[in-house]
Order: sequence, then structure tokens, then C-alpha cells
Amino acid sequence: MFKKILVANRGEIAIRVMRACRELGILSVAVFSEADRNSLHVLLADEAYPIGPAPSNESYLNIEKIIEVCKLSGAEAIHPGYGFLSESPAFAQALEDAGITFIGPTVENIKSMGDKLASRELMKAAGVPTVPGSKGSIESLEEAQQAAESIGYPVMIKASAGGGGKGIRVAHNPEELPEAFRACKSEGLNFFKDDRVFIERFIQNPKHIEVQVFGDTHGNVVHLFERECSVQRRHQKLIEESPSISVPDEVRQKMGEVAVTAARSIKYVGAGTIEFIFDNLTKEFFFMEMNTRLQVEHPVTELVTGIDLVQEQIFVAAGRKLSFSQDQIQQKGHAIELRICAEDPADFTPSPGKIRRCRLPAGPFVRIDGYAYPGYEVPIYYDPMIIKLIVWGHDRQECIRRAQRALAEFMVTGIKSNIVLHKNILVHPEFLDGSYTTQFIDREIAGKQQSQLFMFVEEDVFLIAAAITAFTDSKLRSTSEFKLASRWGKAGRMKAMRT
Amino acid sequence: MQFEAESNGVKYEISVHETRSHWKVSLRPEDADWKHYNISKQDYQQIDQTISFIFNNSSYLVDVIGEDTKYTVYTRGTHRSIDIFNEENLLHESLKGKGGFGGGGSLTSGMPGKIVKVMVEDGQEVKQNQPLLIMEAMKMENEIRAAQDGTIEKVHVQSGDNVEAGAQLISFKKP
Repeated sequence: MFKKILVANRGEIAIRVMRACRELGILSVAVFSEADRNSLHVLLADEAYPIGPAPSNESYLNIEKIIEVCKLSGAEAIHPGYGFLSESPAFAQALEDAGITFIGPTVENIKSMGDKLASRELMKAAGVPTVPGSKGSIESLEEAQQAAESIGYPVMIKASAGGGGKGIRVAHNPEELPEAFRACKSEGLNFFKDDRVFIERFIQNPKHIEVQVFGDTHGNVVHLFERECSVQRRHQKLIEESPSISVPDEVRQKMGEVAVTAARSIKYVGAGTIEFIFDNLTKEFFFMEMNTRLQVEHPVTELVTGIDLVQEQIFVAAGRKLSFSQDQIQQKGHAIELRICAEDPADFTPSPGKIRRCRLPAGPFVRIDGYAYPGYEVPIYYDPMIIKLIVWGHDRQECIRRAQRALAEFMVTGIKSNIVLHKNILVHPEFLDGSYTTQFIDREIAGKQQSQLFMFVEEDVFLIAAAITAFTDSKLRSTSEFKLASRWGKAGRMKAMRT
Repeated sequence: MQFEAESNGVKYEISVHETRSHWKVSLRPEDADWKHYNISKQDYQQIDQTISFIFNNSSYLVDVIGEDTKYTVYTRGTHRSIDIFNEENLLHESLKGKGGFGGGGSLTSGMPGKIVKVMVEDGQEVKQNQPLLIMEAMKMENEIRAAQDGTIEKVHVQSGDNVEAGAQLISFKKP
């Protein structure tokens, strides 16, 4: 087993990895940029080394520097966390060349899943379902009609060069197809100077559901069930849960098997995630992509399976066999993760700055993975997510109530946070009945009146507290001005009192 | 002590009076009647660097951060920014005269960040809503546009610059 591991990351995930190391009696090495001297991962590590200026490409993405520090510290392995270098084949290759163990998949694994289109073709060949679509571009209306008929309505016609919502048309039935086809071709030509189009099944109630997989170097591959991550803003996940309320048992079984097939087909090693787009009407699921790393939302899987995924990553990297077989893995109860971000709850703009007060929830079945503390200045250079709140319950209802309870104990001041946004989501009927899709935030929450987001506080509480503080501040200012003027007089009075 | 305040788009008159045992706070929202609160200092006190405020038997943990006339109140996972002016502030405002945000003036940075791109130059005329520059903060690029038609007097930043919150980015000519 390793004696020392370098963590090539920052923030909550660096701390998560260090916790696993410490529990295994392994020393942990932190690296930090100039903006992160005061960051909690540096404070909690056994050793810490500076690796360069604040911008990521000069520090956390600097492969040479990280390898140099790794050798200097004597660490035998590097855990990349998520983001940064975690899915860089160049990094994994450089470590291999330097004789350092990469705690993650093989270079080939990362490469084969790195290209989205190529990986879909690869998965299709392995028998994994992908979104039904036309092969290549469609030239004529007749061809489009044939393709749509074989794919099944509703269909989406997409301009090959399209993007940003332009060059996409939906046809719900054969009558709508000719106009949609024409409009899409002309939009492609007008906006992108390219009138090639292709046709794909249109998923009406899309959900993001993913399956955690794990492989070892001995050819074993298992899955650890699904996570639903459909609550997203700006295509970034906000809330994740396991199990998904929308997946029937037989589909869950099938998803797990398909995920294992997919991972096995590329001889996958370590922790990985197969992301599916899930049609909540037909309960079909289609491969989207594979993330060849640990996910932000891995704790929900840890809470329902009782398996420490980071420790397992370390074991697998050290060459051990998986410490569990498929039939030993069970999904018990329900877990939800809420991502607490330093951002405006209404428009999602980041809110870096100094945290003044920070009170974290505690109590039964509540887990906090975070790096915020009072006085910490959230830097502008990195991701705004500062804390993950993860809770467990016997069933979904108990879990949601527990999450609401934990949110009620939460206090972060000095910066804006999305705690109140989570409170609003957790009482929303679509979240409660589980019918929410990936469009949930855009449709139901984003841009809503602030007053709707602030229904947990009586209006006058804000005003009274602000007024009393303004009153105290004014008094303080006038007395301090007075004091300054009469300091000599005060000194005289003090002297008189002493004698 | 008398204050004027604006919160969530509503203007208020506020009066605060302190006695030995109580805070007497009165609020009058625009076009409505005064509301009087007599708050015992038992119910509003500093505990562990935070204000514990028991309001109508509801227990709130409150933190207030005040800078000049801007106060931000944090409680129950949410926050509210409130402008509060005392007599002295109000006097300053009236001396400054009207049109403080009018044609003249400048664009300042709302948060610390990095200038990615500057799309305008000194002396250029700009139309309302025309993009002026792109600023990056926390991995997100934000396009900043002109609030109204005007002429640029000077651009104070260039791409690549790191700027603090409140830094002057662009100043506009007086019409």
C-alpha cells in the first residue's frame, strides 16, 4: 500500500481524498496556488507545497510542476480529484513515464471516452443503446420522412453546424416534418453557412440519470446503482439523489447491466460514471457519455451503498481486487446531495468574497463535504461550489425532510449563497413528486421574483435588523469622532480616577 | 433616530429609538401606515458573533453587514440588500443634486474579476445595450453592456487586467 499520496486538486474534493488517506494511515500532500494559501485543504493536509500563481493553467493544470513536487515529497501516487487534470490523458501518461501511480483509469480508458462522438460510436458497437438517429446528413425531404419514420416521432432535426439553440426544430408528427426540415436547413445556411442536417429522436421529458461503475486491474467490473442529477442550472448539476424515483426496478436492473457492459467493453479500471439521458415517458435510456473519474456527487452512492469510493480507488490503484462483488452491493434507503455555491440564488451569477459567519448543519445522517470557514475569502479563480450537504433517510420522504431540516440550520454570510434556492426546490411539487426533468430550473425557478425566493423570512425582520444596525453604526461613528477630539481630556480623567 | 430606506423596491420611513431595555422600531412603507415594534433586548441580542432575534416567537439567527448606506441582512439561508440613509446621508445626497447616475459617470466593477476583452475605445459613441467589455469571474464570462446611449471618455482597463470590486472600468463623457 502507498505511504504517501499527493492530491492534485483543491477545495472540498482535495479534503475528501485526504480524509480517505488519513483513515488508511497514508500521509497526504497538498498542492496549492498563490490564491489558496489559506484554503482548508492546505490546513488539513500532512504536507503542503506551493505550485504557482492563482490561474489554474499556471498551477493546478501545470503537469510538470505537480510531478516535480510529487518527486520532491516522495509521494508514490497522485489522486487528481475531479475537474482539473482528472481526465487528461497527457497527465496520466506523464505520471506513468515518471513512475508515479495515477489513481484513476488507464490512459487508454481516458482517451477512448474523451471524444464524445467517437465514444458514442464505440458504445453503440458494444450494444449500448444510444439516442436513435439518422446515419450522416439528410439530403431530401423523402429521406427525412423515411428516417423519421424509422426513428419514431417526435423527432428533432438538427443542423450539423448548429449550436446555442439555433438550428434545432422539433416535429411531433409527419405533418410537421416538411416545414421543420425546410426551416432547419435554411437556419443552418443562414447562421452557420452549412445546410447539412441530421435527425434524432426528441426526448420529451429528459432526465439525467447516471450509473456508478467500478473496475479493477483483474478484469472485475461492477456497478453501484444509479444517481439522478436532473436538477441543473446552466447545464451544471445542483441536486443529486439515489435511487431515482423515476426508474422502475426492472429498468434499474437493465441500466446497471448496460453500464457494466459498457465499462467492460473498454476494460475499465477504477471509478467511472456512465451518463444516460432517460426518457421519463417511455422509460428508455440512452448513452450520453462516460466520465472517467470520481464524480462530485459520489457521496450519495456512498451513503446508499455504505462503500467508501475514494478508499476503493486507492485500493484498485495499488493493484488489489475489488473488495466487493456485484451481489454484495445493495442500495439501502435514500440519499440526496445539495451543492451549496457562492452565487446569487436568483440569477446564478458567482459571488466570490469573504465569508463572515459560517454555521454548518449537523445531527443525525447529515454529511458535510466542504471547505468554507468564517474569514475565508472565496477566490474568483475557481468553481463557486463551496460545500456539499448530503443526507440519508430510510426513504425519499424522510430524506427530503432531513435535507430541509439541515438547510434550516445552515448559515453562510458575507457572500451570497444558493441555500434559499435549495429550500425552494425542496418544497416544489415537481421535485416532491419526482416528475422534474432537466428543464426544471429553467422553467420553474430561474428568473422568478425574488419575493418568491424569500418566503422563509418575514419582511420586517430584514428591516428591523438593518435599522438597529444602522442606528448602532451612526452612534458609534459620532462617539468615535467625539472621542478622537477629547482623547486628552479622557487621559486626564483616567489619571484623576487612578489617584 | 430617523432613517429612509429602500428594500425590495419599496421605500420606507424608519424610526429607531433605544431605551435601557428595549428597541423601539417603527416602519412606514410607502403609501401605508406606521407599524410599531417594541423589541425587548432579551429578544434581540448578540450571541456568538451573531444576532439572535426572536420575532413574534420566531427564532432567527441574523448577521448584518453594513457599508456606508448599503446594508445586507443574512438570515435563514437568504439575504436582503437594503439601502439605509440617515439625516446626514440624506443631506449629502441633496447637495449632490439630481442626475447622479445620468449621462456623466462611470462603469465600475460589481465584483472582483479579470477583463477578458474590451470592445470599445476612448471617444467612441455607444448605443444603449451595446457590449462594452467581457469580464470573467469564477469561470463564468459576463458581457457588460451600456446602460444608455453615450460617449466614452476613457477606458481604464485592458484585456488581461485583474480588477477589484468597485474598480473604475470605463468613464463616460458628460452630455
